[in-house]
Amino acid sequence: MASQAVAYESEHHAPPPNVDADLVARELIATTTGASGRFKAWTWGLGILSIAGIVALILKFIDQSDDSTKWGYVAAMVSFLLSVAGGAPMVAMAPVMAKANWVRPITRIASLFSFAGVATLIMLIPLVAILPPLVTEGARRRTVWYMAPDYSPHFWTTLSLVLLLITGIALFYSAAIPDFASMRDHSNGWRQRLGKRLARGWVGTDAQWRTLRMRIGMFGTFYFLILVFVNFLFSTDFGQSMVPGWRDAIFPMYHTVSGFQAGVAGVVIALYFSRKYMKLEKYIHLDAFWSLGRLLFALTLLWIYFFYSSFIVFWYGRSENDIATLDLLIKGPMIYAFFAGMILLWFVPWWILIWNKVRRGTTMMVVGSFIILLGLLIDRIRTFVPAWSVPGDQIHEKWLKVIPETVWPDIFDILIMAGGISLVAFIVMMMTRVIPVLSVWQVQEFNLLAKPIKYIKGHATLVAKPD
Amino acid sequence: MTTAEFGTHNWGMVVDVDKCIGCNACVIACQAENNIPINTQDRVERARSISWIRVERYWEGDFPDAKARFIPIMCQHCENAPCEPVCPVYATYHNSEGMNVQVYNRCVGTRYCANGCPYIVRFFNYWEPVWPESLRNHLNPDVTVRSRGIMEKCSFCVHRIRRESRNARSAGVEIADGAVQTACSSACPTSALNFGNFNDPDSKVSRMKEDKRHHTLLDQFGTDPNVIYLAKIDADKKVGAGEAATHG
Amino acid sequence: MQQRRELDQVYTNRKLLNGQLDTPKWWLPTVSILGVVVLIGVIVIATMINKGLGVTGLARPVFWGLFITTFVFWVGISHAGIMISAILRLTQAEWRRPVTRAAELLTVFSLLTALVFPLIHAGRPWRIAYWIMPYDVARGIYPNIRSPLIMDPVAISTYLTGSTLFLYIALLPDLGNLRDRTTGWKNAMYTVLSLGWRGNPRQWKMQTVGGILLSALMLPIFVSVHSIVSWDFAIASAVEGWHSTIFAPYFVIGAVHSGVSAVVTMMALMRWLWKWDDFIRPEHFDALARLLIVVATGWLAFTFLELTFALYGQDAPEIALREMQMFQWPWNALFIVFFLTAYAIPVPMWLFKRVRTNIALMFWTSILVNIGMWLERFLIIVPGLARRTPFVYTWEAYRPSAVEWTIFIWSFAWVTFLMLLFSKFFPLVPLFEQKESQVFTDDVMIGRAKIPAIVREAD
Repeated sequence: MASQAVAYESEHHAPPPNVDADLVARELIATTTGASGRFKAWTWGLGILSIAGIVALILKFIDQSDDSTKWGYVAAMVSFLLSVAGGAPMVAMAPVMAKANWVRPITRIASLFSFAGVATLIMLIPLVAILPPLVTEGARRRTVWYMAPDYSPHFWTTLSLVLLLITGIALFYSAAIPDFASMRDHSNGWRQRLGKRLARGWVGTDAQWRTLRMRIGMFGTFYFLILVFVNFLFSTDFGQSMVPGWRDAIFPMYHTVSGFQAGVAGVVIALYFSRKYMKLEKYIHLDAFWSLGRLLFALTLLWIYFFYSSFIVFWYGRSENDIATLDLLIKGPMIYAFFAGMILLWFVPWWILIWNKVRRGTTMMVVGSFIILLGLLIDRIRTFVPAWSVPGDQIHEKWLKVIPETVWPDIFDILIMAGGISLVAFIVMMMTRVIPVLSVWQVQEFNLLAKPIKYIKGHATLVAKPD
Repeated sequence: MTTAEFGTHNWGMVVDVDKCIGCNACVIACQAENNIPINTQDRVERARSISWIRVERYWEGDFPDAKARFIPIMCQHCENAPCEPVCPVYATYHNSEGMNVQVYNRCVGTRYCANGCPYIVRFFNYWEPVWPESLRNHLNPDVTVRSRGIMEKCSFCVHRIRRESRNARSAGVEIADGAVQTACSSACPTSALNFGNFNDPDSKVSRMKEDKRHHTLLDQFGTDPNVIYLAKIDADKKVGAGEAATHG
Repeated sequence: MQQRRELDQVYTNRKLLNGQLDTPKWWLPTVSILGVVVLIGVIVIATMINKGLGVTGLARPVFWGLFITTFVFWVGISHAGIMISAILRLTQAEWRRPVTRAAELLTVFSLLTALVFPLIHAGRPWRIAYWIMPYDVARGIYPNIRSPLIMDPVAISTYLTGSTLFLYIALLPDLGNLRDRTTGWKNAMYTVLSLGWRGNPRQWKMQTVGGILLSALMLPIFVSVHSIVSWDFAIASAVEGWHSTIFAPYFVIGAVHSGVSAVVTMMALMRWLWKWDDFIRPEHFDALARLLIVVATGWLAFTFLELTFALYGQDAPEIALREMQMFQWPWNALFIVFFLTAYAIPVPMWLFKRVRTNIALMFWTSILVNIGMWLERFLIIVPGLARRTPFVYTWEAYRPSAVEWTIFIWSFAWVTFLMLLFSKFFPLVPLFEQKESQVFTDDVMIGRAKIPAIVREAD
């Protein structure tokens, strides 16, 4: 043995050794009940805002469904929600695939964002109705559906988003079965009945565990593939294809990667609030923030990398469609949004997240995450609003000859944006009443596998690697 | 040279495709004027022949209604040239008279400019040029003989422009319209090639430019060339402005 | 996955230093043959510089051919080093340990080789001193930094400097080790090179911090080098198939694919040639293969995006190019071979653990990948040049000449030659990393199972 495992009360990092598994289960299940007054107030407020948003969406559809140029903000909102709610479950999936230990306690909260995909779907429905078909006024605009029927974008994007929602929920459910069993054993009332129904006879045999891990691996991979596909379809069909001459091979990837960045930021925010207001310091260790901080930092740098890759090619090329694209998306009406987005999505997070002290703490991490989400919203507005503002008669030109007027948001748009964000938060918060916000079995596993030890003269963590 | 001689001209060409008969006299004249190496059969077969101006011929239709389309193409001296920003040593740049100039003694031969040119009018010297003894005396003393490893292209006969500029300055007058003729434009029997100063509103080329048949080649690349083409008129077709002259 | 092996220090030292302390029998004949090939290649290069680029197969409009393809290929291979040593070091993956030095070496030598190609492919290489000097030595004009051909040497030389420093810092403990075991002129050489390494805690701390800092600093370079090389092509709007925004990450991920496969090839050779079966184990190939599956699939996604958006513009010239590239002879054959070797054969094979832990199969599949990746670069660079814009009059074919092929083969011989020469004087597997892995791994009992564990720093 190279080290002596000595009981050591490590400040934040690994749990104290021999934490009783039963205690863990009871404490975490207890978080589903006993909501504080503050929690109730917030859920009421968010719920009302969400309903206002949905009502505004319906009213906008009744009032403005003939003019597609006014729907840019809704498109930007769908993209934003897709990025946050779609990207967050990646935290539940990717580090698990890489066999990282730090992610075990926090996979549940990342997975809960899959349910918020309902918000994305709600916003998408009117948009699908408004999206012009591929052939308008006899001409076919540029699309990735080369020979396919005219309504292909509508069909495939909706289908893939529905699939994303289903796969996300399937991923959540596969990982949640042992927790439903814990609820069956430790909760009461409707939660106990729900746990019993959904646990499907879970007792924890070897075969059941093997099936569980296999399902997580399968749905996780599938989720990732579908997420990339949805990002590709939405950014192309609802974004790039609306602007003549905008030919940008990297835009789908740019959209996906900024989606991951937003998802991780969303998870950090959810973690911060859970940890602080549900008193979960014992279970959500600073290790999680440290690792998520590094991930967020890398994704921030990746954002500027992808952005610059497209910019340099357009700027240097100087062909007519390149110049028109730059004029529309960067130089033209959207220049303030461009600078705001770049500063909030890259420059500020870069200089916040680069410091070890920030990543070791929580407050600046959550501030940085809010900044990133705000920046992403502005960036999505910058790309989707001008795209939708191109009038129907220009859509099949070779390149954009006339830069369209800036479209400002009306009251419906503002309510829809506020409502969409509230709906995501509302759904995640309500789901924590149904199932513990931290995954019981994964916390128990984490406690088993990671032990603080004394190593020669210092302290270290001994992490078992069973796979 | 005072600034009065530079910066006041914008040299360009107007090519009237309707008048071009595909005789290639311009090609020969350019070859003779600019000390271009001899294009042997081997070089032509290996696509290494150098001709600063070429006449492309496209066939349209089938016998007996076959038509031949000719289009002379030389360096377009683009205002927004894709060959200029990519040269690592600034061997090609845009001068104040609207011309894209090639500085032979600075060129290291990376051929990046040639890749950037959409008109394929830039040429590389793969071998040291060799002329037989009998032809050595025909070399034009005003034009540099390029060694191997160097890029070259149409220069709008810049040596002729310089000579006329010097003559005009010593005479104290402006360069008259038509006093400077490139080798190709002076050789063309049908006046399909016309060279002149676009900054002079009364010059021949400025007036020809206003023709409603005018267009430029490959405008989707945004190169803003200084060579204007006038489209061919077909007796049996109505031609509008902007119809592309490239067929095929 | 990680198997514990008790290997004591004496055994480790003796086995891993067998390249320096004794010379393997095969070493001298191999190096001599390679030396001859290198010499032939140098003579051919000299002849080409003397006679002119006419000896190549280049013609109008294919102005860039085999040399630039091979240049991009070697820059791609160089990305292995940073991927493996820097990224895996920063994520604290234990399985990187035997391969870090060989990967960094491959980086340094492939970069050196890559730098040769832009020099020799230019028309007047002796004038390139004007351009490499970032100073206005020639007629008061600085080089044109707007040109990607200037951004290239800046990026590559930064990468080379950083990698060399990284390699050296990682070499220091082993140089100290060798100094203590040799006499005579070798001792003198190692004494100078080891910079007074004593192995005390202060020096270890500096060495570790230096390595980590360099790893972090090299990461932006890792991404930017191949992006800048890709922008040589992406910014040219005149060439079909080149003007695409996706080139930067596409090339980078292709470089990682190509580079890590080259590392696999190298590791298999190292294990066989020096008999390092205890140190380079099937579990390392397993881990590398799994990384490769992810990277290769990411590369496939980028290829798909590139092709989709090439056709998306519905430009007749671009469509004509793709039609030639995929359906006309000889390009269609090259395309099929490329796709099969770069993805369709290796990656499905790697999905099976039996293949991943079979070293011979990993060796051959990794070679296939690199054949495919070289072809990928060729298929990006040359068809776009051969079939340019609507001027059908200027479409031409390109056939590389014997001179180009010779220099291509020379580059492989040169890299291998340098690596073998290096192995004579410096160990290819870092001893201290190997010993560190013994100390940082442990077993824990969880319930009744004995599970391997690693020691992580408490942050």
